[in-house]
Amino acid sequence: MAGSPTLAPSSPPDTDVAADPAGPRGTAGGRTALRWGIRAASLLAAAGFWQVLTAADARLWLRFDRLPTLGEIAERFGAQLTTSLYHLDLLQSLIRILTGFGLAAVAGITTGILVARSRRAGDVLLPLLEAVRPIPAIALVPIAILLFPTDEQGIVFITFTAAFFPITVSTRHAVRALPTIWEEAVRTLGGTRRHVLWNVVLPGILPGVFGGLSVGMGVAWICVISAEMISGEFGVGYRTWHAYTVVDYPGVIVGMITIGVLGWLTSAAIELIGRRATRWLPRAEGSGR
Amino acid sequence: MTSVTESAAGRPAGGVTANGARHAGGTGLAFRLERAGLGYGRDAVLRDVELDVAPGEVLVVVGASGSGKSTLLRALAGLLPPRGGRVLAGGEEVTGPSADRAMVFQDDGLLPWRSVRRNVELPLRIRGVPRGERGRVAQEWIEKVGLGGFAGHLPRELSGGMRQRVQLARALVGAPRAVLMDEPFGALDAQTRAGMQRLLLDVLRDTAATVVFVTHDVDEALLLADRVAVLGRTGEPGRTGVRAVLDVPAGEAARTNLRERIIEEL
Repeated sequence: MAGSPTLAPSSPPDTDVAADPAGPRGTAGGRTALRWGIRAASLLAAAGFWQVLTAADARLWLRFDRLPTLGEIAERFGAQLTTSLYHLDLLQSLIRILTGFGLAAVAGITTGILVARSRRAGDVLLPLLEAVRPIPAIALVPIAILLFPTDEQGIVFITFTAAFFPITVSTRHAVRALPTIWEEAVRTLGGTRRHVLWNVVLPGILPGVFGGLSVGMGVAWICVISAEMISGEFGVGYRTWHAYTVVDYPGVIVGMITIGVLGWLTSAAIELIGRRATRWLPRAEGSGR
Repeated sequence: MTSVTESAAGRPAGGVTANGARHAGGTGLAFRLERAGLGYGRDAVLRDVELDVAPGEVLVVVGASGSGKSTLLRALAGLLPPRGGRVLAGGEEVTGPSADRAMVFQDDGLLPWRSVRRNVELPLRIRGVPRGERGRVAQEWIEKVGLGGFAGHLPRELSGGMRQRVQLARALVGAPRAVLMDEPFGALDAQTRAGMQRLLLDVLRDTAATVVFVTHDVDEALLLADRVAVLGRTGEPGRTGVRAVLDVPAGEAARTNLRERIIEEL
């Protein structure tokens, strides 16, 4: 026999060592609980700090006296959760971002592969992409307003543009970084270019592509919220800005928290799908988050 | 020089084996290089290479590192177009890779996201073999290389030796007419390597495919080969390229002589 299978690396990173009290390490379950405890405590400490500053109306050059306390925010949040408007806003923003981001993922991955695999496509598309890429998507608002019949389409367009570039660039780099041996293996097994595309390129670039999707989702949120603030009639961004204009400061904070949670959830979803899709990577298992 | 009769492994050279009918279309491929110039970019690694490989034989190419033995193999595979001269496979000029000429790489040739089974099935899938048939033939080969219990494992869960077994199964499952092996056991420890050599002799007994095997290990060459082609070092004028093509005799004493002859030529 050629030997037993090697074990997948299973030791968690040592980030929890410092926090671990003296003495032998606890069980795996105990350590996991401890780490979740630390994560929760980190959030609670930030909230507590906020509460101290706002409740005391602190004016330490930065002025916290006009910002709402935790109690005010919680009360406003509770009230909002019961309104259908809040849920409508939430839904609206989610539809916008998922449409824009979904289109950007498909178009970005396709374009990235195309410019990396075909010299002709690269010559045609790359100058164009490089010229448009430095323009912040939010600077396209005037174009979006002029170009599209409705604000809705304009906002999706801006979200799309924001996410498109990081996805395209990371896909392009991932294709170029692919080891040639996999392609050669498939070709010597009789594979055509199409076989190489489906069996080597697409699975092989996934680790790099998910990096781009993650960044893309981040900038997509920035742009969907900004676009909503400028030209929306619904949506979390619109509602947050609206709250500010009517001097509803707790409402502003509620909007911000909502954006934070939504962004976190969508990033986590991408992270999770990415890890599922790249299980074959040497360090995919056992590496902590 | 002794004539090509039978290698030490007892495999009849240059003909269809008794069991060859098991694999459809199973006659070995003949190769011929005519004044072939091979290399990358502007530098020729090998110039004016003349070499004939007979159908069904095991030709081992021995050479030090940098002698161009992998380059030669890549040209036969169709991965490297010649800069001059001609490379022929079965009498036709090689213009690109083909399922007829399967290749086994030194390491990491498996697709890491595919399980052992799906790696071995790949050539059949490319050829459009129906799913059920695919699974059955792949399983047969997985068992033949001694990995019966590991069909669902990913390459990273296997040792280096096991991964090379998978590569061997994947190369042979499509019943190619030639198998090109690029130092396939070069990264393995001595013990694993010996086991793999036995396995290779074992599975080759059942195929009629021509084998071109590249190595820097003279003993490995003598063990596996019907004939040995010796490549000289590059950069030494008059010593570059194919220095000699030698038949491997059956007797122990004759092989010792041959061993010394090869080492002299290297």
